[in-house]
Amino acid sequence: MATSNKKNVLDLSFSLITAVASLSIIFIIVGIFWILVRESAPAIHKFGFIDFLISTEWNPVKELFGAAANISGTFMTTALALLFAVPTAIGIAIFVTEVAPNFLKGPVGIAIELLAAIPSIIYGMWGLFTLAPIMSRHIEPFLQKTLGKLPVLEVLFRGTPLGIDILTASVILAIMIIPFTASIARDSFNLTPAVVKESAYALGATQWEVVKNIVLPYSKLGVFGGIVLSLGRALGETMAVAFVLGNNHKIATSFLDAAATITVTLANEFTEADSDIYLSSLYYLALVLFVMSFIALAIAKLMLIRAERKYSR
Amino acid sequence: MTLDIEFSVKNLDFFYNGDNHALKDVTLPIHRNQVTALIGPSGCGKTTLLRCFNRMHDLYPRHRYEGEIIFEDRNILADDVDLIKLRSRIGMVFQKPTPFPMSIAENIAYGLRLKGVRNKSELTGRIEQALKNAALWEEVRDKMNANAYDLSGGQQQRLVIARALAVEPEVLLFDEPTSALDPISTAKIEELVVTLKKHITIIIVTHNMQQAARVSDMTGFMYLGELIEFGSTEKIFTAPEKKQTDDYITGRFG
Repeated sequence: MATSNKKNVLDLSFSLITAVASLSIIFIIVGIFWILVRESAPAIHKFGFIDFLISTEWNPVKELFGAAANISGTFMTTALALLFAVPTAIGIAIFVTEVAPNFLKGPVGIAIELLAAIPSIIYGMWGLFTLAPIMSRHIEPFLQKTLGKLPVLEVLFRGTPLGIDILTASVILAIMIIPFTASIARDSFNLTPAVVKESAYALGATQWEVVKNIVLPYSKLGVFGGIVLSLGRALGETMAVAFVLGNNHKIATSFLDAAATITVTLANEFTEADSDIYLSSLYYLALVLFVMSFIALAIAKLMLIRAERKYSR
Repeated sequence: MTLDIEFSVKNLDFFYNGDNHALKDVTLPIHRNQVTALIGPSGCGKTTLLRCFNRMHDLYPRHRYEGEIIFEDRNILADDVDLIKLRSRIGMVFQKPTPFPMSIAENIAYGLRLKGVRNKSELTGRIEQALKNAALWEEVRDKMNANAYDLSGGQQQRLVIARALAVEPEVLLFDEPTSALDPISTAKIEELVVTLKKHITIIIVTHNMQQAARVSDMTGFMYLGELIEFGSTEKIFTAPEKKQTDDYITGRFG
């Protein structure tokens, strides 16, 4: 009797510990959300919902705040970063899963994962001291001379190539999210059953035809999930971008404009927020980012679940 | 009766991972427009042998062929063989149905497109013909645009056969094509194999000895990477020369 009681107590406390650990996650998420809502209440009250989202005003002196410039900066850097990162990452994944000879598969795979291990502040420093000068001296003038001469595209390359701008920030972001996209794409590619690939080869398909017609359709949902996951990562990235974006509260029209993202504004301005409404507006910005990231990750999760369900039989 | 030889396998040795000796000095003829069955216990090398005919092993590293498989006066194991062309002439059907993630019609059009057929009406005609040849047309004619995964396992396997037939191969390799199917679907596939041999040469690997006896003209019995005995199916199943063959077909081992 005694031993079985002791066992029950152990069992019970074990269950309790795991339950508390798991439930605390939910508690923390709800808690953070609640604090964000509570602290931003004055700003929500003063600037409203839609008005805050579409106003480009960011004027601490007049105490008028709007999120539009920050949101647009966030979207532009994120979109541009995805544009650079996704094709590269998918190319890497195809190389690692299908093309690379065995002796290269390991090293390339490890290098990709190491890329993910570099702290973002290091990316930021590297961006400021190494990438930004290269961008302003070589790449941006070159882009202005080529793409900048084309009719419609010309708008996107106006301005002085300082290297501290949306383009540089996007390149750094892209390098940071490549590992995520590439490793999820690689895992999705590996879900393609070998025997289905063999059947395509058995019909006389070339390697490229197998990748294009079999592997990619098989894994497109998984790859999409990986892209949205990287999107969430790019939305929230702060330090790497803070160094090279220029913190300019205007809606950028050119890739060579300085801008601000939500995260960069938060990092830079919390310490200088001298009025209650200023502080509250920063909380409001954080709330907007929280919701944006939440939606992006929820979509990603949904896609991955659907992908697994579809091909797990 | 003299029969045309489609393949002539001569002193074939095959190694996985450099030193795993999976086929040992295999020599046999494969007759044209006949069904040749390869039987033997698991791990005897029959699937390994089958996968030599379309060089499937080349998809994986560290394999090695020694010896020859002569097909149209050429050794298809030579380094300079165009594998894409070879595989479009020698089709393969696998153990599990392997439809591609696309519609029924697209599955069959896939191989045709690889061969360069672009014309819409030609595609439609050849898709229909292939499905008829695989005895699937009546069941799918009204849902050609449905996803191939919606078909039953037996239907999927016939779809895969239709897909292989569409590119008009000279040879079709079957790797235990019915081991994942129910008896009725199995009977349909077996019937199909017998019909198909009028136009093509068939090599079938099977675990099921009744199946080998029912569908094949020639049978090879393999054990531990060696071809123990090869002869007409009737002879192998009624009066085998080797004791090992006799033991296997009477179910004393394997």
